[in-house]
Amino acid sequence: MKTILKKLFQQICLLGIFLVVSQSYAQDKLKISGNVSSETDTMPLPGVSVIVKGTNNGVSTDFDGNYTIEAPTNAVLVFSYIGFKTMELPVNGRTTIDLQMSDDVAALDEVVVTGYSSQEKKSITAAISTVTSEDLESVHAGASVSSGLAGKISGVTFKMPDGRPGATAAIQIRNMGDPLYVIDGIQQDAGQFNNISPGDIESISVLKDASAAIYGVRAANGVVVVTTKRGRKNTKNVVNINSYYGGQNWSRFPKTVNDSYVYMSKKAEADLNEFGETQITNEELEKYRLGTEAGYKSFDWKNFIIKKDAPLYSLNVSTSGGSDKINYYISGTQLKQEAVLGPEFNFERNNIQSNLDANITDRLKVGVQINGRIETTDNPGIPGADDYWLPRFAILRNRPFERPYANDNPEYLNDIGHNETNWALHNKKIGGYSTNIWRVLQTNFSGEYKFGGFAEGLTVKGMYSYYIADQVLNGHEYTYDAYTYDAANDAYNATGGSSNPWRERRNRKILKNVYQGQATYKKSFGDDHNVEGLFLVERQEQRDQNQWLRSVPETNILPLMYFANVVEFQDADNEEARIGYIGKFNYNYKEKYYLELSGRQDASWKFAPSKRKGFFPSGSIGWRITEEDWYKSIAGEDAWVSEFKIRGSYGVLGDDNIGIGAYDYLPGYNYNTGTVVLDGQPIVGARDKGQIVDNISWFKSKITDIGMDFTLFDGKINGSYDYFYRLRTGLRGRKYDILIPSELGYGLPDENVNSDAQSGFEGALSYSDSFGDFYLTVSGNASYSRGKFIESYKPRFENSWQEYRASNEGRFNDIRWGFNTIGQFQSQEEINNYPVDIDGQGNRTLLPGDLIYEDLNGDGRINGYDEKPIGYNFGKQPSVNFGLSIRMAYKGVDFTADFSGGSGYSWAQEWETRWAFQNQGALNTIFLDSWSRQDPADPNSTWVPGKYPALRYNASYHSNYRGGQASSFWMHNVTYLRARTIELGYSLPKPILEKIGLQKARFYVNGYNLFSFDNLSKFGIDPEVNDTNGLQYPQNKFVNVGVNLSI
Amino acid sequence: MKKYIFTILLALFLALGCSKNDEEFLDRPPSSILTQDQIFTDPSAVLSVLGDLYNRYEDFGRLDDWASLADFNIAYWSEAGRYPAFQNDGWGFGSWGIWNYGYIREINLFLERCEEATELEASLKTRFLAEARFLRASYYFEMVKRMGGVPLILESETYDFSGDASYLQHPRETEAAIYDFVISEAEAIKDILPTDADSKSRATKGAALAMETRAALYAGSIAKYGATTPQVSLPGNEVGIPASMAEGYYTKALTAAQAIISGSAGAYALYNSKPNLSENFEALFYDKANNPEAIFVEDYKVGGGKTHYFTGWNQPRFGAEEEEGGRINPSLQFVQSFELLDGTFAPLANEVGGNPVYYDNIGDIFQGRDARLAGTVILPGTTFKSKPVDIWAGIVLADGSIVSGDSRGQEKTLPGGTEQVQVVGFDGPIDGLEFTAQSGFYIRKYQDPNTGSGRRGTQSDVWFIRYRFGEVLLNAAEAAFELGQPDVAAGYLNQVRARAGITTPLTGADVDFDRIAHERYVELAFEGLHFFDLKRWRLAHIVLDGNPISEAEVTQNIGEATKRETQPYSIWPYKYHNPGDPNDGKYLYKILRLSRITGADRFQFGNYYSEIGQDLINNNPKLVRNPNQ
Repeated sequence: MKTILKKLFQQICLLGIFLVVSQSYAQDKLKISGNVSSETDTMPLPGVSVIVKGTNNGVSTDFDGNYTIEAPTNAVLVFSYIGFKTMELPVNGRTTIDLQMSDDVAALDEVVVTGYSSQEKKSITAAISTVTSEDLESVHAGASVSSGLAGKISGVTFKMPDGRPGATAAIQIRNMGDPLYVIDGIQQDAGQFNNISPGDIESISVLKDASAAIYGVRAANGVVVVTTKRGRKNTKNVVNINSYYGGQNWSRFPKTVNDSYVYMSKKAEADLNEFGETQITNEELEKYRLGTEAGYKSFDWKNFIIKKDAPLYSLNVSTSGGSDKINYYISGTQLKQEAVLGPEFNFERNNIQSNLDANITDRLKVGVQINGRIETTDNPGIPGADDYWLPRFAILRNRPFERPYANDNPEYLNDIGHNETNWALHNKKIGGYSTNIWRVLQTNFSGEYKFGGFAEGLTVKGMYSYYIADQVLNGHEYTYDAYTYDAANDAYNATGGSSNPWRERRNRKILKNVYQGQATYKKSFGDDHNVEGLFLVERQEQRDQNQWLRSVPETNILPLMYFANVVEFQDADNEEARIGYIGKFNYNYKEKYYLELSGRQDASWKFAPSKRKGFFPSGSIGWRITEEDWYKSIAGEDAWVSEFKIRGSYGVLGDDNIGIGAYDYLPGYNYNTGTVVLDGQPIVGARDKGQIVDNISWFKSKITDIGMDFTLFDGKINGSYDYFYRLRTGLRGRKYDILIPSELGYGLPDENVNSDAQSGFEGALSYSDSFGDFYLTVSGNASYSRGKFIESYKPRFENSWQEYRASNEGRFNDIRWGFNTIGQFQSQEEINNYPVDIDGQGNRTLLPGDLIYEDLNGDGRINGYDEKPIGYNFGKQPSVNFGLSIRMAYKGVDFTADFSGGSGYSWAQEWETRWAFQNQGALNTIFLDSWSRQDPADPNSTWVPGKYPALRYNASYHSNYRGGQASSFWMHNVTYLRARTIELGYSLPKPILEKIGLQKARFYVNGYNLFSFDNLSKFGIDPEVNDTNGLQYPQNKFVNVGVNLSI
Repeated sequence: MKKYIFTILLALFLALGCSKNDEEFLDRPPSSILTQDQIFTDPSAVLSVLGDLYNRYEDFGRLDDWASLADFNIAYWSEAGRYPAFQNDGWGFGSWGIWNYGYIREINLFLERCEEATELEASLKTRFLAEARFLRASYYFEMVKRMGGVPLILESETYDFSGDASYLQHPRETEAAIYDFVISEAEAIKDILPTDADSKSRATKGAALAMETRAALYAGSIAKYGATTPQVSLPGNEVGIPASMAEGYYTKALTAAQAIISGSAGAYALYNSKPNLSENFEALFYDKANNPEAIFVEDYKVGGGKTHYFTGWNQPRFGAEEEEGGRINPSLQFVQSFELLDGTFAPLANEVGGNPVYYDNIGDIFQGRDARLAGTVILPGTTFKSKPVDIWAGIVLADGSIVSGDSRGQEKTLPGGTEQVQVVGFDGPIDGLEFTAQSGFYIRKYQDPNTGSGRRGTQSDVWFIRYRFGEVLLNAAEAAFELGQPDVAAGYLNQVRARAGITTPLTGADVDFDRIAHERYVELAFEGLHFFDLKRWRLAHIVLDGNPISEAEVTQNIGEATKRETQPYSIWPYKYHNPGDPNDGKYLYKILRLSRITGADRFQFGNYYSEIGQDLINNNPKLVRNPNQ
């Protein structure tokens, strides 16, 4: 098999050379010409595809809708154009065939990009959803493509926990894991996908089921296929300008007390609650209340740090068009997004996209696609790995009586004792800088040859893709002084700061080569049997070189790094290689019964040579009931169900991302396992690699999908519904029926023995209609997907409790365990008489308002045995996702409203959102609603109930908080529905356009994320935030104004 | 043909893409993996593997885990996240357990492969082999200290996938057998290893003997004092050593120690380089250039890729290079256990007859004590890296009320004043404010006085001393004392005490158990040894008995080995503010227990030997559990 495939591949390569010299056959044909126009407005239609049925012989209409084609006298011509019904007309010896095409609302003949090819929508037998440029255009949700996909695609789950400039959203297909991205035929990662200019995307197809198997190697979690825009043959040159400018503000963020008096009174109350005494005297409190003396004033840190209406701006200029031989699309985009932290925190991206296709002869077509970008993330150099962390942390850390500048003199950074959170430091002047630039270029060269004669229907295609990405990161955190003002001597004394300079640079280059050879064969036998076959060979290789060095420079000034100051250097060089052989076969009978079979043999460098290969077959069938004669006869001509298709698919997909290193199969020693200093000399360590892993291979992912597509009421309603079940077998696990003494020194290697499943359903429904000049489209989708662990290999449990607690067998994944809070103590008396030891200290640390945990096992104590399931996953995708979109247009005015939501995940209050004064810092305002004594200073005064337990000072250890252990009081199962795009646009009418010489001019105002309905608003937390301390950079609310011009 | 050029190029690209066969295409050479062959033909590669084994040497206390050096209430941990350690009442049975047979296996593999290597020079090979045996014995020593007797695996084994792994099940050896193994290995390798007092970071004859004397001393004391706690033993002697063996072990301990003291293992001596004895004791730990005292160390190198952040975590917070520091706060009890220079014990004189004593200078109260105090602890009124520390808790007014603040160096207006003045030190202490000197003290031992040592980006390369001459002397003293040679013991103790500036030498009659224990307590504090002293003398359950310490009790029974250590106490300096009064501007001191300290540690009998987990017993049913768990 191997050698046959190899030979075949080589022959395809040779064929590529052979094409160059091959000649096409001449044949006796009729020359037919005509004009194509639109039925509704009788305007000529340029770019309509005219094909001789059953062949690849075709042309396109020109600017005026005219075409000329040669065809046998008995041929049938197929006219197709996006948005119109495809028509088939027999030639019958005519030499002139004019045609008016009618709109096709259902767009059944719309072409959908699938694995390595494209198909008409009606013939699709797999679960594939698409979203087109039109759906994406009005979304201005940030800088990345993924951030705009909320609720857009049925079955694609969405969560955007972080909204900083350049941020991306987490998207998954059916919650199956990180999907594979394929951009213009080349497998890429999420980073490439996110940084395409959204305006350059023609369509995004999401392969959700076994149809992804054709991408084999990394397709087990589904595939996102992106196609960029191309020019159309025989169309006029058009220049499009799309630009918008907007302002961003945080959707939500925790609020803190910014009044020194309130802060200090609450701290005194916390001290009194916990220790019965406080150092804070009434005289002092009075000074805080007056707030006039130095040291007693109030300062609003959030207001100091957060800027309003941070700008987001984008300009896209593109031009496209084509002659009968050449078509092109060239585009440039600039995008700049600033953070609410100010202009020094920003993300900027410049993209170019250039897609050219040329028909050298009727049969030979070549193309080149170039996409490139420069991506710059720039901000002040701030201590810590994430430069955006401390500014946010500062809001919850800095107390209101602390001030940024000594004696309020902006020349002197104030020593507040924790100066890293002093925002006055977080700028390029004092703090330093960090600039990360990615320069990326991808170029695809392709050649395609259509055979004629005996090989009519056969097309061979070759593609070579070269990709280079270059990263340069420069960072420098400066040394700085922080001052204390000495009022007596009017002096500023340096009492704090950092003398640690941190200068780093990363140089990284990623190079990729992809080679594809492809042969397709398409033929109709008679009128009934339509056959299509595809064979493809793909080789991919990647090399990633990464150097990082760090120095301790003498000064903050010099930009270069010097050997004498370098203290750290890291070097990495890693390669990857994958090979795939793909075969696909499609058959349909009278476009009524469909069958698709495909298989892919994949090999990955990651596994031991004997385990490298995997074979991944899949198949699907479809039945268009509405094409049956008996249906037509029963339903009649005007059936309200105009299209109904049942389809099913099954396939095996592979995943080589199984959590092992690339060379785990090789015995030997890892070099560079640390440095040891022996006799004063640093020596690079080397360590035995240990038990090799040469028995592990692909995860196998078996996806079953049953679905249906339907069209009702003459295309006004379209819908689809899918049920799916993905069983993954061969997950890594251990065989625990043989226990190996730990004294052996190594464990049994993992084997491919465990299994899990992901199942769910999804549906989409759309309605569109027009009432005179009023157009309306309403569409929605909803999906549910949740994972379950199926079984491990003969699991062992020490006892039934351990089985209850630790077993995963047959259980849903991501169950959160914790204590069950059954109430709050209402009085000291209740505490004194309570039979269960809640705090492990005889309840002596408890006060009214403190949490009562359920003693599940009734042993009178609260410990690990009292935990039970209390929540869903957190930090992961929602199990339930839904989206709703409304579009209206009346004459020149258009309106869009999109909503999306999610449910079936959890968020827990922890750290700053769980206990007051975390880090001895600011007071989160949610704790103002706490249990407290009427007079905090009087231990005998009555208790006033509140939502939260009585205040303590930074008492994470208290039983209410249990050091951050989960409990149902702090766990929230989230459901949200939020407004995404809301846009109002106005297009200038034609007469005015003609006067000013434009084809299109549209102006709009647009809002994104303007409001949300959810159950986290009371904590000041965005519903998609993951961080339990609430400190994540949340999504923004956007308000934009924009313009679309076509010249 | 011109227009076909592009296509030809394309075809060439494709041809290039498929010029290799599949296997060639998929074979990508790793960039950082060496084969066994490549390793064992190249001495520098062998040293890399051996170096990695050195790097995984198991220490109980580590510089890169600061808390491990300052546990058991000898200090307070001034870091908010660690306060719970002072609120609970003890330790789980699994605490301090280790069972890293993966490391043992790697050493065994190294020994086997190195033995087989034919292309290594013989002298190099024997040294490598002896070093690996030293590391293996060291790890077994560490295991027996924590777990008791363990299975003794001296060859790499392999599971044959037969479905029956019982042939791999080895029972625990007796505790004595493991100690015997450590001692016999030391004896076997000591003359193969170099006799070189300048080689500190690799195994030498001195290191082997130092390990031997410590191991034998531990075994001897377990045999002797184990008799006081018969419940801490197992019938198969996996835990517990028969009392009859004590004398033999003590003899070996003394012999091995004397072999070092006599100079037969190299020119080791007490460090004595600086005229100021406190500075001398401090420098003993950071001076790497001229240090005859260090025998075996874990070394670091700034700019060499191996550093630690001990100084950054622990240096005085005021003036620190980062916003860090001040974590280890030595306890009042520890500070006052240092003798006066005449060799007598005395509490810190903060009160006389219930009235405060006023001192002119903030550090005066600590004067006249064992030089090791100021060498081990940063006291108020002293400096670090030439910067004075600013440790004082507030201002006491004439009426006895206190003005203080809750942030470092806070300023307030005093009654009757107009200007704001500082009312608390930049180093605190402030109760509950992490990184301030909450006990009134910071640690000095192991801190690096070099510029940059407290920077995250530079860090420190002060080495960690695992064995030093001072400990050898104390081991010899203890062994001699237990063997009934108090005069010999006094001689060794006096060497150590003279270096600490104590003016009155001990006589044989002065030497009792408390003396031996005390000397180890103050000399070896924060070196990871105190805990094992408490365990082997079977004092841990007495010293850590779960009872809180009253304020009165703090100043009593100083110097006694059984003094309770369940909670650390603090002593805070205050400035006295009473214009016109003769004591105005002077300092007074208050003893207190921090508010975060609510628990009192209790060491259970089941804590003497760490738990052998159920998972280990499931895997090997021949393992017997440790007692009292």
